[in-house]
Amino acid sequence: MRTTSEINQSPLDIIRQNKEIERRANFIKAIFLDIFFVFYSVIVVQRAIYYKFILDLRDIPFSWGSILLVFVIPAVVSVCWTFTRTSISCKLFGIAKDNKVTKWTVEIFGWFLLNITFIAGWIITKLSIVDLFSSEGLQGAERLFSSLFRPEFGIFDDALFAMIETIYIALLATLISIPITLLLSFFTARNLMKSNKITFVIYYVLRVFLNFIRSIEPLIWAIIFSVWVGIGPFAGMIALLVHTIASNAKLYSEAIEGIEEGPVEAITATGANKVQVVWYAVVPQIVLPFLSFTIYRWDINVRMATIIGLVGGGGIGTMLMQYQGLARWHEVGLIVLMIALVVWVMDYVSAKIREAIY
Amino acid sequence: MILKVKDLHKIYKNGMHALKGINFEVEKGEFLVIIGLSGSGKSTLLRCINRLIEPTAGTVEFLGKDITHVTGEELRKVKTQIGMVFQHFNLIKRHSVLKNVISGKLGQLKTFNSIIGNFSEELYEEAYRSLDTVGIREKADERADSLSGGQQQRVAIARSLMQSPKLLLADEPVASLDPATSNSVMQFFEKVNKEFGTTVICNLHFLSLVRRYATRVIALKAGEIIYEGEPKKIDEEWFKTIYGDEAEEVEIR
Ligand SMILES: Nc1ncnc2c1ncn2[C@@H]1O[C@H](COP(=O)(O)OP(=O)(O)OP(=O)(O)O)[C@@H](O)[C@H]1O
Ligand SMILES: [Mg+2]
Repeated sequence: MRTTSEINQSPLDIIRQNKEIERRANFIKAIFLDIFFVFYSVIVVQRAIYYKFILDLRDIPFSWGSILLVFVIPAVVSVCWTFTRTSISCKLFGIAKDNKVTKWTVEIFGWFLLNITFIAGWIITKLSIVDLFSSEGLQGAERLFSSLFRPEFGIFDDALFAMIETIYIALLATLISIPITLLLSFFTARNLMKSNKITFVIYYVLRVFLNFIRSIEPLIWAIIFSVWVGIGPFAGMIALLVHTIASNAKLYSEAIEGIEEGPVEAITATGANKVQVVWYAVVPQIVLPFLSFTIYRWDINVRMATIIGLVGGGGIGTMLMQYQGLARWHEVGLIVLMIALVVWVMDYVSAKIREAIY
Repeated sequence: MILKVKDLHKIYKNGMHALKGINFEVEKGEFLVIIGLSGSGKSTLLRCINRLIEPTAGTVEFLGKDITHVTGEELRKVKTQIGMVFQHFNLIKRHSVLKNVISGKLGQLKTFNSIIGNFSEELYEEAYRSLDTVGIREKADERADSLSGGQQQRVAIARSLMQSPKLLLADEPVASLDPATSNSVMQFFEKVNKEFGTTVICNLHFLSLVRRYATRVIALKAGEIIYEGEPKKIDEEWFKTIYGDEAEEVEIR
């Protein structure tokens, strides 16, 4: 057994060691972040502002000189800068010297970064007020809007059917997602999984996996699944399902992480096992948030289902695509009108339901 | 002897050395009260005793058995024999009072039965008897969060009684109640202690309550025991040592 004095010393040592490790880690992070900042500004200034805007070049010339200019020199400069402890990243990680030079560089360089980002953004998206208000453009817009506001009711039956398909795609995706998400959310809640190494690994792997899935837009999933299972409502449904599971698992597990610890402690103290603790102390605290998220998600899914239809996920979106391709704006007008109506109703209903359960 | 704590240390992950070599013993049937300033380690000590948190060093013996390193099923068996009551009651707010009381028995129920809510007649009767003990049988079907603080704490006591505990831990059970209610809740602890012979270890802040209910007192300061003895012997001088020179005793009745 350890003696008291050993125990007395170790915490302080641990704290001191931790501080030192943290300081070093921050310094290394600062080096990389500074390199990034400098690269970023050099590349933006050279490529976007100088070549594209000032010289108006289409193809960017290659030369060793430019490589040297863009990569080697900035890297050297930025590392030196970090070592002086006056750089912007040193400031961000709290390891900068507290003097005038630091204050100065941080302010000037910060402003510089902000401005070139804005300018480059402007150039890249080709913001042009002239195009927006040109007479030719305005005429086109007028033609389109006037047709949109005189919808063609001849396709009402077809559109209604397509709309119902869309709502059902969304509904089915939401319903099927519920049990799967429920199960996953317990395995991705930090407070339930952290106590044990094996469960923590499961937690971590699942989290990364779900983050990956969620970071891919439903639209992309729809494209993937329309290749996989063929164009149509099924592809749309699966695409929505996958994305719903990934995003709701995150929301659900965050709800689990935010519960009151007290009841969990109390039930654990009675000698209940893990499953009983979850059922008695965790579940009652999360029923309402889960219900609320799910209803809200159905609402989102209806909107997404329309969009997914544009790439062949079935329903009203697919129909909209077809008429838009034929430039039949009166029909498009009707479809847009119906979508707007349904989205508005869904929005209203889901808000009301969510209010009622709280 | 029901409990023996030997050279107990607790160092939290952030380096906080909350318990620095605690030694004491508890006899069966005692009403032991632990006092000390906020942050002196009272809650930490109780949580180490029933292993809600892991002690860093030292041992805890319960009923003559070292429970410091038991795990899994065995640890759950130990926990079923130690009841615990908390400052903030820690009831399941959305459940009925009855269901909260029944949940005290979870450690002895089959997982499947407890999840589908299949409880025996005897279990219901036992729950009603527990509620009788704390005098709120008529509230059985109400939602736990509709009760007053004092009533909720009585439900929490009833819940721990379902365990038929050999030892009852109470972490500042009356700290969020008004003085009158505090006294009535403390009387239920006294009742459990006297009638069922349950050993009680209780963290308290008010000395008037300590004098009235404790059979023995332990005072903690910065993770160490600085006083151990009868509650009557805590005089002005001891009071200042325990709570600091600035402190003055507040009387509650
Ligand atoms: N989970 C934790 N992590 C780190 N430090 C903690 C943790 N819990 C408690 N501590 C620290 O340990 C010390 C003892 O805390 P403890 O809660 O046991 O005190 P206490 O006597 O119960 O105080 P109070 O009267 O406020 O409840 C405190 O300094 C506290 O900050
Ligand atoms: Mg405490």
